[in-house]
Amino acid sequence: MAANNKTYKPDALTTNPTLLWIAGVLSVVMMAPVAWLVGLSIKNNQELMLGTDSVFRLPYTAVNYLNILQTSRVFGWFFNSLVVASGQTLGVLVLSSLAGYAFARLEFPFRRTLFVIVLFGLAVPEQAVIIARHQMFNWFGLHNTYLGLMLPGLSSAFGVFLMTQFFRAIPKEIDEAALLDNASQFRIFWKIMLPLTLPAQATLGIFTFLHGWNDYWWPLISATKKDMFTLTVGIASSQTNFAQSEGLGFLASQAVFASLPVLVVYLIFQRHIVTAVSGGAVK
Amino acid sequence: MSASIKISNVTKHYGALTVLDDISLAIQPGEFVVFLGPSGCGKSTLLRMIAGLEDVSAGTISVGDARVDTLPPGQRGVAMVFQSYALYPHMTVAQNMSFGLENIKMPKEEIKRRVKAAAETLEIGHLLERKPQKLSGGQRQRVAIGRAIVKEPKAFLFDEPLSNLDAALRGRTRLELAQLHARLGSTMIFVTHDQVEAMTLADRIVIMHDRRIEQIGTPMEVYQKPATRFVASFIGSPAMNFLPVTAVQNNPGGLAVTTVGIGTLQTAIHPQAGFSPRGATLGIRAEDIVVLPQGQTGTPLKAEVIERLGDRSLVYGVLEDGTKLTVEVDGRSALVIGDSLHISFDPATLHLFDESGQAHRTGGD
Repeated sequence: MAANNKTYKPDALTTNPTLLWIAGVLSVVMMAPVAWLVGLSIKNNQELMLGTDSVFRLPYTAVNYLNILQTSRVFGWFFNSLVVASGQTLGVLVLSSLAGYAFARLEFPFRRTLFVIVLFGLAVPEQAVIIARHQMFNWFGLHNTYLGLMLPGLSSAFGVFLMTQFFRAIPKEIDEAALLDNASQFRIFWKIMLPLTLPAQATLGIFTFLHGWNDYWWPLISATKKDMFTLTVGIASSQTNFAQSEGLGFLASQAVFASLPVLVVYLIFQRHIVTAVSGGAVK
Repeated sequence: MSASIKISNVTKHYGALTVLDDISLAIQPGEFVVFLGPSGCGKSTLLRMIAGLEDVSAGTISVGDARVDTLPPGQRGVAMVFQSYALYPHMTVAQNMSFGLENIKMPKEEIKRRVKAAAETLEIGHLLERKPQKLSGGQRQRVAIGRAIVKEPKAFLFDEPLSNLDAALRGRTRLELAQLHARLGSTMIFVTHDQVEAMTLADRIVIMHDRRIEQIGTPMEVYQKPATRFVASFIGSPAMNFLPVTAVQNNPGGLAVTTVGIGTLQTAIHPQAGFSPRGATLGIRAEDIVVLPQGQTGTPLKAEVIERLGDRSLVYGVLEDGTKLTVEVDGRSALVIGDSLHISFDPATLHLFDESGQAHRTGGD
């Protein structure tokens, strides 16, 4: 009975007025900058120069979005971001799955040591290796190439760790049954194990895509030619000066445009993101 | 198709730890053999070594005429049913059953035929398009067996397959397994720690303890003629009564044994050469103790606890010197706690174990 009561107990958040108010206030705090950005993007520059409170007054205009279509390089940057983020996502999923399976299931020399070394990767900040990486990419002529923008993101210690833990959680008897079913090691990985890790793949894919899409630091260093900018670097380069006395609305409209794919990804994978953030994906 | 299985001097080490020590065993084609023993005795390890899921540290394993201990699991001609069933969760029942056949590139028509035939045998034809999470425990168990059947293996290996089922379903599945064995005539090895499963299913029971085989025999052999004190204590419910032996005297009819609690009993046992009474114990099963009718005098026993099981009752009693003894009485007995009853012993049903636990039997056995 207790279990049944628990099952049908309404969520505390929907019944407790205090919690509901706190959640409402937090939502407003989180959403206000986004709403403001959208407001800025539909105002012309003259009005914005009179004060940002003009966001709350008519008239509104679509001229900034028309400017994106006519003059901005944002579509090229958008394409670059899409290629880099998608490439990194695909690469991380492939590499992390293979590495995770190997660490979780295969016997090979120095397996534990190698896994610990991979985990150390979680503790090393990107800034600590950036000069060496820049020099190395320079030697190989990888700057201002898609490969150069993608490569650093492929070595995902988090991805390997996540997939290793997920593979470990799958009962070993499943692989043993497949071994008795005469399946090769690759067939076990491909036909049995990989499909069972789809929740983890979705989680990792979403995080990797969002990270690749929002990454600013490495593209800023690696992409020095304007046509190789990603969205983050490109939009930042549109900022004419600190006070931004010109093109504020245009800048805001580019930022809104840049956010749209992330919003789409979120809407499509909302369930997986919530599960991932709540930790359920790695159970 | 069924094949013999021969295990010769097999040993298993994990580093310095020995989990199986010099095991030898021959299983006949079509035989149903049960590995029985307490947790940690090595029975599952032995089964997994036959399956190829564990390496053999020393010794050889043959299935039919072929030595298989160097072959990968899929090429040994055996099929295994796991305790957790180990069905592939993302595949339907039909896909689960056909996966092994696809791996050996069997023609699709033949796969279809075998899956259909196995599904009919196990009455799971209506479940073929379902995924495992939509099945009950009993249905999953059938699918796991079906996955083994379609391979038409030389031997079936079962690793405690009934332990996840409730009591009623376990009893029913036990019966169905026995019927399946009769129908297929295949060699089957079944691992369990449940003596009821072992006694009801096995042609022969292999009782394992502490890395070794204690005894191999038919269910009634291991019950009636336990080779060691461990077997005597492990097989049978309630466990056999054991009384410390204080002295023995060699009589022409057999050994006269003096024990704590009962005094001197004439047995039909002729011990092997070198038998020493030091550390020896006398074993008596509860149902072998004779309860004397009222008016007849024997060894008095006072009932402390009575377990009523329906057709019979178990009396947990105490002798005059405080020695505890379990006696089986008829279920209709009106005996109540505190009552005294008089008991005696049939010399032919007594068991004698030396200090090392080895049994000394009645003449000729």
